[in-house]
Amino acid sequence: MSSMTRLTARRFAKHRMALASGVLIILLALAAGAAPLVEALLGVDGNEVDLLARFGAAGPGHPLGTDELGRDVLVRLLFGGQVSLTVALITAFAAAVIGAAIGLVAGYYGGWVDGLLMRLTDGVIALPLLPLLIILAAIDLSKIPFLDGLDDSPASSLYRIVLIITLVGWTTVARLVRGAALSLRTREYVLAARSMGAGGLRIMAVHILPNVMSPIIVATSLSVGNIILFESVLSFLGLGIQPPIASWGNMLNNAQELIYEAPALAFYPGIAIFLTVIAFNFLGDGLQDALDPKAAGD
Amino acid sequence: MTPLLEARGLSKHFAIRGVGLFAKRIGTLRAVDEVSLTIAAGRCLALVGESGCGKTTLARCLALLHRPSGGSIHFDGVTIYDDKTFNSNIIRRDIQMVFQDPFSALNPRMTVAAIIAEPLNIHALGDRRMRAARVVELMESVGLSPSLADRYPHEFSGGQRQRIGIARALALRPRLIIADEPVSALDVSVQSQVLNLMLDLQDALGMSYLFVSHDLAVVEHMADDVAVMYLGRIVERAPRDDLFARPSHPYTRALLRSIPRPGGGKRTIGAALGGEVPSPLDPPSGCPFHPRCPQAADICRAERPLLEPLEDNHFAACHFKDTA
Amino acid sequence: MTRYIAGRLVETLVMLAVMSFLIYGLIGLMPGDPIDIMVQADPNLTPTDAARLKALYGLDKPLIERYLNWLGAALQGDFGYSRVHNAPVLEVLLPRLGNTLLLMGLSFILALTVALPIGVYSALKPYGARDYAVNFAALAGISVPVFWLALMLIYLFAVEWKLLPAGGMQTIGVDSLLDRARYLVLPVVTLSAASAGGFTRFMRASTMETMRHDYIRTARAKGLSETRVVLKHALRNALIPVVTIVALSFGGLFSGALITETMFSYLGMGKLIYDSILGNDYNLALIGLLFATLITLIANLAADICYAWLDPRISYQGSAGQ
Repeated sequence: MSSMTRLTARRFAKHRMALASGVLIILLALAAGAAPLVEALLGVDGNEVDLLARFGAAGPGHPLGTDELGRDVLVRLLFGGQVSLTVALITAFAAAVIGAAIGLVAGYYGGWVDGLLMRLTDGVIALPLLPLLIILAAIDLSKIPFLDGLDDSPASSLYRIVLIITLVGWTTVARLVRGAALSLRTREYVLAARSMGAGGLRIMAVHILPNVMSPIIVATSLSVGNIILFESVLSFLGLGIQPPIASWGNMLNNAQELIYEAPALAFYPGIAIFLTVIAFNFLGDGLQDALDPKAAGD
Repeated sequence: MTPLLEARGLSKHFAIRGVGLFAKRIGTLRAVDEVSLTIAAGRCLALVGESGCGKTTLARCLALLHRPSGGSIHFDGVTIYDDKTFNSNIIRRDIQMVFQDPFSALNPRMTVAAIIAEPLNIHALGDRRMRAARVVELMESVGLSPSLADRYPHEFSGGQRQRIGIARALALRPRLIIADEPVSALDVSVQSQVLNLMLDLQDALGMSYLFVSHDLAVVEHMADDVAVMYLGRIVERAPRDDLFARPSHPYTRALLRSIPRPGGGKRTIGAALGGEVPSPLDPPSGCPFHPRCPQAADICRAERPLLEPLEDNHFAACHFKDTA
Repeated sequence: MTRYIAGRLVETLVMLAVMSFLIYGLIGLMPGDPIDIMVQADPNLTPTDAARLKALYGLDKPLIERYLNWLGAALQGDFGYSRVHNAPVLEVLLPRLGNTLLLMGLSFILALTVALPIGVYSALKPYGARDYAVNFAALAGISVPVFWLALMLIYLFAVEWKLLPAGGMQTIGVDSLLDRARYLVLPVVTLSAASAGGFTRFMRASTMETMRHDYIRTARAKGLSETRVVLKHALRNALIPVVTIVALSFGGLFSGALITETMFSYLGMGKLIYDSILGNDYNLALIGLLFATLITLIANLAADICYAWLDPRISYQGSAGQ
């Protein structure tokens, strides 16, 4: 197995952009993780409002200046990165798990189960995503019996966002896995497992899933970018992550009205989103070429 | 004596339909069409025929991997399939399969040890140590060194992979092994090794085989009894020596003539077999073989011949079977 | 073929019905008493009427029952009133729908016009500098947040360089095509960025895949010039998978349109839906969402029919059956 991994790693390394992106992502993650450190080094508090220092230009103590409430931009950017990255990764993972489960069941059992699940998947894909997310974000959760533990606090907004994006984000992985499962279920090793009495669950988990991991990994890494975009849109519209928790999206919300006075405030969070998303997209591309050379243009 | 496995009037049809919600049924593929056969305990029944005649489908139906469309199957006197029954649990330990393609018969992400031990895991037999010991035992019995147990399938040759497949099939000590063209994908030099292994195992463990093949030379080597298939039907069935010595059905005779023999020489017995195998979607009327049969007469076009006894244990489905 | 289309039509209707149920249910979960708000929106309401309607649709009734009551009224053309605009829902919705379709349509065409030629062009010299640049630009298009792109474009073209308006539909008092076109430039460009990126990548991938086939080598061996080879032989086959994907993506354009309209204060249906959800104008939100879903479903249906027409398997089944 290790020789196959080495081969894959070598193919990945040939993709310079993908490699660069991988490095960039690691750096971003480290920077975001180091936010408290930077905060201490600069001697500022990211949440501290200092109305006398509004719209400060870049300078000592504030490498990227201050925002409309006098808070340091760099520190907020880094904390925002923590939030956006964590939310995106958790959501991508959750969506992949749900998508894989649905895809496996649909592909392996076929027949009406597949028909039903695929209609469901197609239905979700056909929905206008953003309007749906907006409604889901605007719902009064206290009306749903088992979710009323979630209130309107900013911390809850994190859970909400993960939940609603996961609800609509599983479809790509589901389709992928279903296609793979459909073709794998006629493989002879699956037939062999059936002939020895293996049950559906065992076959899906032991025989099919490990053999579809590559496309799942690719699809998941490609989905992270999209998830970041959706989270930032929702936060930008005021429906996602609530202040004072910083996310790149809600930083842009504040910046929008100030576009005339302080355009730089709109620039930084947006560029951060842009770079992160493009990095994940390149990474996904590189992974795809590395893991499935037939699909690429080799 | 009760046969180990008996099929009566077994059929498997596939419906071919178009695409979409209201799609029409375009045709029916009769892959297996009213097949009756028996496998006696301790003997090897070979199932012979050209590609597309339905032998793989029949083999999988007998292992209850497909749900048949009609007829019945009985294992050791117990009905495991008929129109009211589909009881695969009973046979999951007694009937095992060995597959044709060594490259897709083993899960590429599992180690050899895991592959061979899987039947034991599924049926929760023994503890970890006992299973490990059994894996060693099985690998040795198929001629593989147990030190290779932690390797992955792609590190083995085709012949070795077939041995792994056989070891896996033996794990539960089955009474019947259904082998679907187990050596067809192997190099000729390796074929005889695997075949001899299978014969040795049969002698040692006393199990029965259903041995599917398109290669009559292999069949001659392995079989105790032979059944010949054409377009989803059994056209002749006999003990091996009887079949090779006194083939009755014109198709069987044609097949036997096609076995390459050392020394070459002109074939003088009968005319060569012309034409192509018709599509199973649109089989000929009456006897399915009549378009290619040198002896075809009007009755052959009109009426389908049934499998009827010729002499001891020798059955043929031909209107002219008694004139050989 | 007819059977296939009939089947897909039925599926579309069923999907629409299911979606309407889902959205109706979701609206019911909005803060406050959404049903009350929806009922009160009609300015002509008498207290008797109000009581009757509450009995039909009230939140105390089980979801199925009030949904069916709503459905019955809707199928007769009664979509309720918009609370904010004080007019029947359809009256408010339809003109805005037209604006959105205009925006989506123009962006779609722009994206196609830019992306397809560049995709092909780039595929002809794969992995070269030109190809990397194109691929990078395409990925950038997909990766940029639409609302941020809008902000940046507004800043550059409206604030800094003062070339184009920052938002709105037209200059007040002026009613010329040219004027409206000026207001459309930035929104259309913003919306087409992501699509253009996606289409470019698909076209490139599809062209590269087609060029590898043996019949292309045959054409070259026959001595045809490279241009002829590409245009005559490769292009048609490369386009087929792209057409499907492109057609399927039209519906997805709606989400981007929603943001674009909001950023540029463009009076389209996307902005309307957004405003109505947040403004508690639930009748409007409900019907608006259904329209949005319907657009997507119709676009997908058209794409499927197109694909079925191109795919010989499906057409053959159909014609063999007639």
